[in-house]
Amino acid sequence: MTSTETFRSQIPAPLPPHPIVIPAARETVLSNGLNVVVVEDSRLPLVNYRLGLRVGSSYDPPGSPSLTDLLAGLLPEGTESRTSREIADQTARVGASLSAGANSDYTIVAASALKQFSEQILDLMAEVILQPSFPENEVELAKQNTKESLRQQRAQPSFLATEMVSKVMFGEHPYSIIAPTPESLDRLTRDEFVRFHQKKFVPNNGVFIVSGDVRFEEIIARLESLFSTWSSGEALSTEFPATPKRTKRSAYLVDRPGSAQSNIVIANSGITRSNPDYFPMLLMHTVLGATASSRLFMNLREEKGYTYGAYSNLDARRTAGTFRSTAEVRTAVTGDSLKEFFYELGRIRDDRVSDKEINDAKSYLTGVFPIRLETQEGLIDQLVQIKMLNLPFNYLETYRDRVQAVTVEEIQRVANAYVRPDEAAVIIVGDGAAVMDQIRPYAEEIETYTTAGKRKETSRSAPAANVVGSWAIEVETPLGQAIPATLTVSSEPTGLTAKITSEMGDADIGQIEVNNNAFQKTAAIEMHGHSIEIQLAVQFDHEQVEGTLTMQNSSMPFTGSKL
Amino acid sequence: MTFQIPSANVEQFTLANGLRVVLSQDHAVPVVSIAVYYDVGSRNEKEGRTGFAHLFEHMMFQGSENVPKAAHFQYIFNAGGTMNGTTSTERTNYFETLPSNYLPLAFWLESDRMRSLKVTQENLDNQRNAVQEEKRLRYDNQPYVNAFLRMNELIFTNPANAHSTIGSMEDLDDATIDDVREFFRVYYAPNNAVLSVVGDFDGAQARELIEKYFASIPAQPLPPSVDVSEKEEVAIKNEIFNDPLAPAPAFVLGWKIPARRTPEFYALSLGGTLLFDGDSARLYQKLVKGDESVVSIEGGIDERRGPSAFYIFALPKPGEEVAEIREKIFAEIKSIATEGPSDEEMEKLRNSLCNDAVRGRQSTMYRAQRLAEFALYDSDPSLFDNELDHYLSVTAADIKNSVSRFIDVDNRVVLDIIPVAAAEEEAEVAASPQPPGETSQPASPAPQIPEQPFSEPETVHSEIPQISAEPVKDLADTQL
Repeated sequence: MTSTETFRSQIPAPLPPHPIVIPAARETVLSNGLNVVVVEDSRLPLVNYRLGLRVGSSYDPPGSPSLTDLLAGLLPEGTESRTSREIADQTARVGASLSAGANSDYTIVAASALKQFSEQILDLMAEVILQPSFPENEVELAKQNTKESLRQQRAQPSFLATEMVSKVMFGEHPYSIIAPTPESLDRLTRDEFVRFHQKKFVPNNGVFIVSGDVRFEEIIARLESLFSTWSSGEALSTEFPATPKRTKRSAYLVDRPGSAQSNIVIANSGITRSNPDYFPMLLMHTVLGATASSRLFMNLREEKGYTYGAYSNLDARRTAGTFRSTAEVRTAVTGDSLKEFFYELGRIRDDRVSDKEINDAKSYLTGVFPIRLETQEGLIDQLVQIKMLNLPFNYLETYRDRVQAVTVEEIQRVANAYVRPDEAAVIIVGDGAAVMDQIRPYAEEIETYTTAGKRKETSRSAPAANVVGSWAIEVETPLGQAIPATLTVSSEPTGLTAKITSEMGDADIGQIEVNNNAFQKTAAIEMHGHSIEIQLAVQFDHEQVEGTLTMQNSSMPFTGSKL
Repeated sequence: MTFQIPSANVEQFTLANGLRVVLSQDHAVPVVSIAVYYDVGSRNEKEGRTGFAHLFEHMMFQGSENVPKAAHFQYIFNAGGTMNGTTSTERTNYFETLPSNYLPLAFWLESDRMRSLKVTQENLDNQRNAVQEEKRLRYDNQPYVNAFLRMNELIFTNPANAHSTIGSMEDLDDATIDDVREFFRVYYAPNNAVLSVVGDFDGAQARELIEKYFASIPAQPLPPSVDVSEKEEVAIKNEIFNDPLAPAPAFVLGWKIPARRTPEFYALSLGGTLLFDGDSARLYQKLVKGDESVVSIEGGIDERRGPSAFYIFALPKPGEEVAEIREKIFAEIKSIATEGPSDEEMEKLRNSLCNDAVRGRQSTMYRAQRLAEFALYDSDPSLFDNELDHYLSVTAADIKNSVSRFIDVDNRVVLDIIPVAAAEEEAEVAASPQPPGETSQPASPAPQIPEQPFSEPETVHSEIPQISAEPVKDLADTQL
């Protein structure tokens, strides 16, 4: 379509901007030491409450991972005067919400209601904060259900990636542990919850934030009376072990046979949230990978079509942090994707970002800022983070100026300080047999793990020869049956060939090409007169062999030894 | 009970080319949200081209006469905005929230792609790859999700309703550049769309800008109408779904129900709330808490302009008798169908409806989307203010009668999800189709909680980082 409308050929000029009014937050301290922040907002008849406590899973006692998270979840599951069911019913009856949860740095109890029910829900919220009873049966149910969801999480590649990144990057620091184990869950007792609550859930660790259709004086008086019996306790330690210092680029492959994609995470040590480098890092991250117009997305998705999305991740928490680049890519382009990632990581260090890029990033960050102030929930979440991460109380007022103040030089400085490809940990969750050779050029060493987190012996240094012969293997079906079979590798004038014999059926694998003591091949197995396609991935290691046999979408691992 | 929610002060008009426009001013925060809804979704797809509406949605970000490829993202982000697009069975939508002084930018971008989308083979190939990765990421590499796609095929018999929005890999492979051009011509016309604008703007100025940018885009003949009619009965009663990724058995129950905004739909939607929404819901209290026989139970309603669907998904605990769990679910449904909801439950429904209605008004984007939806489906955006009354007028007897007529019936699907290896073994043993009635559950590892079993109808476009390497509850890095 041709156009005579010349105005269309140019991006329109913006209209004069309207000022942003940041809602006034007033702060006080109750007589028991509980910090309170109130935002009066009467646009709608709604009230939101948050209690934030600076105790998160990084304070879980050694041997009791997830204690804090489970404890938070158990708060609304019974009090001295109400059962779990009564709490759920009473909350729902007034159309309100009441919930609690924890992350690595802090715990949040959240409630909200229409103004007409806001006092009722506040009373109930105070009750679950102060008088949780941790009923035996609820503790047991929470443990059992956590075990089940843990099993589900292990089936998720994203969980496996996060688990490995955390373990590698945080070392002795408690951020390294992101989930409990079935055994640690079994050990947890009701007493432990009761004691942890008494000791760590104290007002001097927390802040209570109210946003909505309330009056400051009235709500302060109400909170003073509700929380008068809550007395202060010992301050939390702020000392944590240092994170490991990395000196080379290593890959950590979590072998997930048959995986439809490779999850890639490239990680370096980062900064804490209160580090003065935070704002230069935020700008660097915005240019490199924060959005769908950043360099990583434009390269790996829009130009190459390797992935649904490629991003960077500025993980800056209260006591440590990482800087990561991530994408889920199709298996065949795992190596090509690493190439593009390292190209972009090198470029952000070596070349100054352009004036246009830094200005665009500033405009993005300052522009999206007010969108978060539209809703009470958006504003109160900002206030929670300010308080829980020890940011200045005027953070919202100064945010846009601090973004504007960052220079091109500062971006390059922090890129060189924190984006360090030669020291990066490269985590890949994917089909090991299919991606191993693709990863090799991008890492000095490769450690391989099972999806259960167990280290596998790598076979890099094993001699390439001696795969010829017969190997006794056992193929494990998803039901746990072990089917015995024999894998025979023969040396023919034309090269190596292989075949499998078993009581289930035989498969002629045909010619194989062994690289680094491994091969992959698609072949057909004859079973009960039917020919069924199989994919075979085999890794030899001296006298041992392991691999996967994939048939009809079902991946079966096998191990064995030379006959 | 009457409950006054603040009015959205809706203003509406139609341009000469048929573009329906809805405006709602709110000056609290200097932002503005714009939504463009096209009356085309996967229900309009031809046979052999499933997934095309969604693939086309990706193409709408690939450039137009005055906007280079992928510049759409950049213009919006560089102005300090957020944006996305999604496709469902019913419609395809595109939306952005911006600092309010960038309103002209949004109109420029949306009008340019409405009038002059540019398509190239290279961009089509590239976006086909991105969509196929999206399918792998969110469907094929996830346990339980594809079972929901199968469920739709069992509930609905009309192909327009039955196939999935994400489509099949083969059909995506087959899509051609001519398909893209033809789809654009037929469906992306101003008279097949709604534009809604909510937030901090001046009404007269907005109207002037809309005329300037959109009025000259020519109308097109109306697209062919789509037949979504269904016979009442559900096609198949029991089926087994072999899921290679499912670590444990689970099941889905599904029913066909009347279209949105019918009296029966309102009543069933509230009946669903009582059965499966939140910790106070009947099935949660009975099975997760009381019996402790399931790890999780969830339910949902697929709301459509035509025949819609009602689902319940359960993950039994290891060793629990699945048939028994199903009987308990049916008994709870029967209890609503015979005794109706209690007074306490009706009070809960009223208060929750009011709470949700107020809360939903806070976000300009939420309002823009709802207004556009009501304008597109019902030609009546004022429903944003009035729809609550329809729900509040539902009585306990209405819920009882509708649950009795549509849910407490044998006219339903039971889909057993079985880990694929277990299924193979079972097939070897039985070597024949399952006998009618309950299927037996083979011994298996512990059940798992699916990530988002109800996420299917909406397929989200590009922007949202789907999987961050963070533990879910940890801080998103661009929060502040």
